[in-house]
Parts: sequence; structure tokens; C-alpha cells
Amino acid sequence: MKDYDVIIIGGGINSLVSASLLTNQKKSVLLLESKNILGGTAAADEFSPGFKCNMVYDYLRWIDPRVIKELNLLNYGLEFREPNSLRVSLDETGKHIFFNSDPNKTLESIASHSKDDANKWVDFTKFISKLTQFLEPLYAITPPKISSMGFKDAFTMRKMLNPVMNFGRKGIIDVVRTAPMMMPELLDEWFDSELLRASLSSSGITNLTQGPYSSGTVLNFLHNHIHSSGKIHNAKFVKGGTENFVKILAKIAQEKGVDIKMSSMVKSIKCNNGVCKGVILSNGEEYNSNIIISSLDPTNTFFNLVGNNYISPKFQTQLKNIKYRGSTARVHFSLKKCPKINGLKEDQLDSIFSINPSVEYLERAFDDAKYGRISSNPYVEFCIPTISIPDYAPYGKHVLSATVQYVPYHLRNNNWNNDLKNKMINNVIGVIEKYIPDFSELIENSKIITPLDLEISQGLTEGNLNQGEMTLDQFFFMRPTISTSQYKTPIKNLYLCGSSTHPGGGLHGTNGINSIQNIIN
Amino acid sequence: MSKLSKYDAIIVGGGHNGLTAAAYLAKAGKKVLVLERRYVLGGAAVTEEVFPGFKFSVCSYVVSLLKSNVIRELMLPKFGLEILPLESTFTPFDKDYLFRTSDPDQTYKEIYRHSRKDAETYKRFGPLMGQIGMAVRPILETVAPNPLGINFSDIVSLKKLFSHFNGLSDENFEYLCKLMTMSSSDFLDEWFEFEPLKATMAASGIIGTFMGPRSPGSAYVMLHHYMGDIDGSFRAWGFQRGGTGELSMAIARSAEYFGADILTSASVDKVLTKYGKACGVVLENGDEYESNIVISALDPKLTFLKLVDENDLPSDFVRDIKNFRIRGSSGKVNLALDGLPNFTALPGDGPHLRGAISISPSYDYLEKGYDDAKYGNFSKEPYMDIILPSVLDPDMAPPGKHVMSCFVQYAPYNINGGWDDMKREAFGDAVINTLAKYAPNIKDIILHRQVLTPQDLETTFGLSEGNIFHGELTLQQLFSLRPAVKWADYTTPIRNYYQCGSGTHPGGGVTGSPGEMAAKQILKKWK
Repeated sequence: MKDYDVIIIGGGINSLVSASLLTNQKKSVLLLESKNILGGTAAADEFSPGFKCNMVYDYLRWIDPRVIKELNLLNYGLEFREPNSLRVSLDETGKHIFFNSDPNKTLESIASHSKDDANKWVDFTKFISKLTQFLEPLYAITPPKISSMGFKDAFTMRKMLNPVMNFGRKGIIDVVRTAPMMMPELLDEWFDSELLRASLSSSGITNLTQGPYSSGTVLNFLHNHIHSSGKIHNAKFVKGGTENFVKILAKIAQEKGVDIKMSSMVKSIKCNNGVCKGVILSNGEEYNSNIIISSLDPTNTFFNLVGNNYISPKFQTQLKNIKYRGSTARVHFSLKKCPKINGLKEDQLDSIFSINPSVEYLERAFDDAKYGRISSNPYVEFCIPTISIPDYAPYGKHVLSATVQYVPYHLRNNNWNNDLKNKMINNVIGVIEKYIPDFSELIENSKIITPLDLEISQGLTEGNLNQGEMTLDQFFFMRPTISTSQYKTPIKNLYLCGSSTHPGGGLHGTNGINSIQNIIN
Repeated sequence: MSKLSKYDAIIVGGGHNGLTAAAYLAKAGKKVLVLERRYVLGGAAVTEEVFPGFKFSVCSYVVSLLKSNVIRELMLPKFGLEILPLESTFTPFDKDYLFRTSDPDQTYKEIYRHSRKDAETYKRFGPLMGQIGMAVRPILETVAPNPLGINFSDIVSLKKLFSHFNGLSDENFEYLCKLMTMSSSDFLDEWFEFEPLKATMAASGIIGTFMGPRSPGSAYVMLHHYMGDIDGSFRAWGFQRGGTGELSMAIARSAEYFGADILTSASVDKVLTKYGKACGVVLENGDEYESNIVISALDPKLTFLKLVDENDLPSDFVRDIKNFRIRGSSGKVNLALDGLPNFTALPGDGPHLRGAISISPSYDYLEKGYDDAKYGNFSKEPYMDIILPSVLDPDMAPPGKHVMSCFVQYAPYNINGGWDDMKREAFGDAVINTLAKYAPNIKDIILHRQVLTPQDLETTFGLSEGNIFHGELTLQQLFSLRPAVKWADYTTPIRNYYQCGSGTHPGGGVTGSPGEMAAKQILKKWK
């Protein structure tokens, strides 16, 4: 038995970031990961003999600049590839829209759909950039406790608002007006072309069990575009794959002296009189520490590790009311050879491809999930990771990984048996085949990771990748619950640092750095 | 063109808000003229004898949100305001029903019959919503500030901004935040389990709104409906004797008593401006009226895009008004009946016919209705909120006969292919067929029917896109943003031109609040 200053539960991005930052404070840190691989949803693994894939994330949306700076990530070899397009929204007639970091290039392909829309594109990117610039300082603070807001909190708010003033008062109003909107509502103010509208809408529904017609989807869209400087469909492709980001973070942590223990499943958090003391592993080992930081979602942290006896009924109710509702699945295909996508050349295959013919298409895909069914025509975005990392497949062969919505965790009159899994895979194949006509002939093997699989393998409640839906009612001081939005919990010395906390999900590390700053203070 | 006498204020639109504003201004000694396009006053709060002997509250059919101080200050009871309480809600489903009344013991027993847990929860839920309603009230009764004018960098003003909530317990503050952002189904799921109860409660979150019970934002609309009070008692719904039009008439009589002039069949074509200031109006028949100020009680689209010239307004403001969402989602079916409907679930006459009848058996039922509308069709099996005014007020129909008012959702304004006579009848048939599933005798007792589509609501009552709230009650269209930032204090970019309709804070419903607040704000500035 060894004592540490801090124990961190979970080995994902936020945990690794938190661990390294704590060693800067001369703390001894133990990080416990239940699996034999670090990174959580950022890891890569073999899904079929000889074929490897990014289990969940093919790319990052953004990384907190503070994390990059404080952990000196660039000096540790973090590099990003710059493919020609950030994303290609596929069109059945081949008039694909290519989203580029340079808006002036993007508008060329938009023009083939609508000249008007193309003319508005640069202004749109500036508008979005303005909105996200307002949110960025908000993302970097600990949410205030508004109900009992005193002068101290007001002071924090003022500090936060000061940089915002530079963007002009109108910017705040724009955010307040825009964030609660549904995607088509925002788009009605800008664009006519259906493919463009649908492509933008797809960013608003990421990891939600809501369709584009749901209020607040614009908030989710903005969340995806934080630190993007107006680059629409911003994506950061890590050189060497998403797992390389994990490897770099792990290397930093180890160099800084963090004790990382793999295959160490925490069974419970020891509490005494409302104060946490240490953890017990499922193999019986015990570790003590002054502080425990959990990167698991609150449902796992409190119901499974702390236990009902140590939490008040009121807090239990709050926890039960967190909306998870995972409905994103991943489907990985091992392919005999490189697929050909209609209307695209071979050198255009290094990107993200999205299938979203119309806003109504996306909404109808959601309607299925609303009634507890899998989408018969799902929203699909896919990438071919083997284009940039040939090592992920045997020579000449390829991997195609699809992210699919909606595949609801909560099914009605059904469960995740093999039949349903196969049906879902076939639905995905059916959709992709419209753009890769011989797709089914290329497939050697396929594997689906449903929300239930994510719950079992990744410990994500209901398979929600964001540890709680990114909706207005679960944002800022309401995330994950109004009582725990300051990263503190009702158990003394137990903190949260996962995606469940402000500002939500993604591989950005903001939750970790915010949480640590709060603990240090 | 004839020039007629000069007024202090001209109010365009003789709906209940226009009349309320007129009454307040007249009471303050101003010379006021109200101009109403139709032959009858009341706007959407109107009573008409649609079929000989049968009187209908053609649009707005219940009263609950009318502010008590408006009733008092305008002495409305003296001028004919008389609210007959609607004390129950009856939800038929399958072979059974849910019947809630204003008697807590009866309601407890009735809910207990279906769910013991819900019966207990229900006792706590009502008071909670009341408390939250009371906490929100001061905000609704404040003139919305211009956020471009608040000094955010000033700690004191930041603290003040949030001090509104200091009166709320932590728990209620949490519920308020949830009500502002969640879907009504998510919110109610945290409390209840019995589907017809949840669906009927959630239904008040979709009324007049282009959303389903599972759409985020619908919980706020539900709260909005909870804030109704008649004479200070919360959440009491009622029916105005003689129909909702009588309520408008009471306000009109009050306005006239204080000296206001009211003209009907006087359709305003344009607001006249001189040197960038409003100075009168011109009617479609060419008559001109001069005044110091002009107040529009019409919705923001008509107020700014029809009554005045776009070029007289700043372009970003015009853009905001064009972007203002005002999608209509509901229709109205008014029936003249030879007798009373006989519900399979609870046959015969009875107290259940004296209150609201809600066709809302489940969330899915409402959601499916919404799905139809989302894709441009009317609901094949719509949600309905029904009352039988003649049961409460026999003067509404000839002896032995009845009138039935069905508020129907969803009927999208932008229906695929556009509305025409055939679609209107098909919509009417869908309503009757749905009703017949619950009260099979309905088809035999219908003498006449009036079907109003959102387009009819637009052409007849001047509600743009048929939206009953003059603009959707979504978060981004409330308070300082209703109808547009900087202009939520009833002023407009044109000097001496004001707004007082439901498209301004605090929004739709027969509240009198926008009219009252606009008038008081104008009077404050007048000196």
C-alpha cells in the first residue's frame, strides 16, 4: 500500500492532462486505468485480424491552447496533417462540397450549388468565428454558482466578460440569440442549398439524440467549432493517428513522474464522514490519497464507486436526471482494396466524408431513434484511415470507419442482439453504397460498436461519448448537475475532470485543465 | 382625401392588447383613437355568431392569463368581464380516462387510480410550478432592458442581473433553469410516470408552438401557460361569459368610458411619417388621421414590414424582424351541435363536459402529430384542446343545442402544396374522425362546422402565418430579444412609433400585459 497526493481514476485525455498538470505542482500522482490501453475513446485497436482502427475518434475537433502550451505538446512531437479538405459532403450527383481551411476555396464547391450561398460563405465563417470567440473565455472558466452569486462570482464573471467586450456588445447578443436555436433556424438566415444546410446541420447533431429541428442544436454546432477561428467542420488530424495524441500525453505524464497503472479497475472509492480517503481496486489492492479526481461520468463515479449510502437522495435524483442517451455508433469495415467514391479522385480520399443529403434526411433519421428504433437511413460520416496510416491494414488493403447516427441505446421492444447489429451494419452499407457502388463487394469483415458496447467497453453510461448530452439544459453551470458544476462534488476531496463537466465532450483537455486549476486554487 | 381631427395617440388594431393600451392612455387623459380593420372588435379575442343562433369564441377560447391589475385598473368587471371557471381537464384514452379537477382530493384519488406515485408527486408539483411562476413574474412585469445598454463590466449591474433569482431556493432555481431549456417531456419525466397525465400536461408546452413535447424549449411554453391567473389565483382557467369577444368588449367599453374613440371597419394602410417621426395614419379608403404618436398592436411582421416603409428602418433591424420566427402551427374547428358528445370512456352528460377535454393520450401521439407537421402536412390524428362553452353559458347556442370549440394542432402554415378548400375540408375531416374515435356520436350531431387553417387565421385575423402568439415563444425570442434586440421596450427605430402587441415582451396569450406595459412606458416618456 502506497500513499499519493492525488489519485486519478480513468486514463483518457482529461486524466492524462490533469495528471501532468498536477506534477507541475509537485504532487505525487497515481493514474489508474481499467483497461490495458490508455486513451479511452481516443485509443486505436485491432478490430479484425491485421486491421486496426481509431476506435471512436478519427480526428480531434480542437485542443485547448492552454493544454498545448502548458504541456509543451508541440515539442513532444504533436503534429497535425493538413489534408486538402477538412471534410467532403457527398452529393449523389457528384457535386460534392469540399470544406477547406481556407473559406475562399470552400466557396468554389458551394458555388456549384448556389452562387448566393457562395457569396455569403466568408461572412458566415466570420460570424461563427465571432460567436465562438465569445464562448472561448467562457469555456476556460469554472462556472459560477449563480443562485447564490456573490460579489466574488460577479467578479469572476466580469473577468470573463472583459475580453469579450473587445468583440463588441453585439457579439454577446448574437450568442444569446443564436445558441438556443435549432440548426435550420440559423441556416434560414444564411443559406438555401440543401446539401450545405444539411452538412452544417450534421455538426449540430453530433452525439445528440436530437434531430436538427431541435432547439439548442446550434449550441452543439458552436461547441464543435470552438478554437476553430471560423474554420467550418474544423478537424485536426494527428500525425500517426489519434492514438499518437494519447501516446504523447502518456509520455509527458510518465516523464513528469506520474505513476500509471494499467489493468487497474477501481471497484470503489473509500469514503468516511463525507470525505474520500482512497480507492479499492477490483483485485483487492488499496491506495490512499488526499485527493481523488474521477474522469468517469458522475453516474459511474457516484453510483458505482462511491455508493448510494454516501450520497444524499437529492443528489441521487440529480444524477438520475442527467441525460446520456447515446445514439452514436461506430462501424468499422476491413476492405479488400481502396474504395472508389463517385466523383472523387484517388488523391482526394484523405478526408472525412459525410452523407447528409438534406436536413429532412437527418431529421427523419432522428425520428426513428425518437421511437426507439435504429435509423433505416442513418447519418453517416466515414473516413479511410489507411490512406494516411497504411500500417492499419495489411499491404494493399484498407479500413473504412464510419460514425453513425442514430443508433439509440434505448431501444423499444428490442435489444442489441446480433440480428439487430447486422441490420444496422446493412443500413450503413446501404447508405454508403449510393456513393461507393461496389462497397459491399469490397468488405472482408465488419464490426459495429453500439452505444451499449461503448458502455460496456469504455464505461460510458448509456454509451454517450460526451458523458452527457451537450444540450442547453446540461451546459455551463448546469453541467453535469447544478450542484457539481464547479468540478467539486458533495464528497469532500473528490473531484470530477471528465467530459461530463463544463465545457463538455471532445478530446480537448479543457475539462482537465479547468478542474486542476480549480483544485489548486 | 379628407383630413380628420388630430389625436394624441392612434392605436392600430383593436385586439385586446390594442384596446388595453388605448384604455390606459385614455385614462391618463390622452385623446386616443383605435382603428380596427374588421367589423368587430377583439382581434383574436373575438365572439362571432358564425351560424345563426350559435356564438363562438372564434379564435382564443379560454382566459387565464389576464393580469389582475389590468382587470382592476380598467374596472373590467364593471364593463362586463365575467369569467366562468373551467375547473377540469378530461383526457380520454383507450377505454379509460383521466379526469382532473380543481378539487385536490378528487384529483388525488383520480390519479391514484392510475398511478400511486404520480398522485403523491402531483401534490408537490402544482405548488412548485406556482412558486416558479411567481419568481418569474417580476421579470415578466419588467420592461425588458436593452442589453446593449447594460454595463456588463460593472460588477454591481452583473450582480443585479442575477439578484432576481436570490428569492428562489437552490432547488427551484435548478427547476427554473431546466424549464427554460428542456423539453416538456424530459421535464415531466423527472416527476411523473403515467403517460396520459404526462402527455396532457406536456400538451400545454406545445400549444401555439411549432414543436413536439420532446422538443427542447417546450418546457418554457408549459411554464408560460402555468403563469395564468384570474384574480390572483394561480393556474385558473376560465371562460368569459358571452365568449372571449366579450372580454375585448369590456376593455373597449372601459377605453370608451375613459374617452377613447374606437372605429371599426377602418383598415390602416400605412403609418405616416414626417421628418422620420410618426405623425398619423392613412386608411385603405384614403382617410387620414393625424396624431402625435402611433402605436401598432399588430404583430412585428405587419408592424414593421407592412405599415411602414422598410427604408425608414435600419437595415440590421429589418433583418432581425425578417428573421423573427412566427410559424403558425395550429388551427381551429368550431362546431354547432345538436346535442352533447358522448364519450365512450365516460358516457353521458357530466362534469367532464364542463371543463377542457384534451385529446392527448400519449407523448408518441403528440409527437406523431408533430412529425406530420414537420414535413409539411396537417396531423392525421391531431392533438386537440376542446371546450363546450354552451354547457357553461347557455346563451352561446339555441336551447338544447351546443357549441364546441376545438383548438387543433398541428396544422402548419406552410403546408405542402399550400392550403386550399379541399385541404381545409380534409383537415376538418381529420379532426372529426379523430373526435369520433373518442365520442362516436359526434358525426350525427354536427349541424355546422367552421374550419380555420393557419392561413385563415392570417387572412381573417391578421395573424402573420397564423401564429397565435405573434411570434414563437422560443428562448431567443423572449424578453430583451422580443421582437428584436434594442427594441424590446415598446419603442421602435421610428420616433413616435410604438408597438404593443403580443410580439413584444412578455408575449402571447390574453394577458393584456404588452398593451398595459407599452402604455405605461409611453406615458412615462410623454412628459
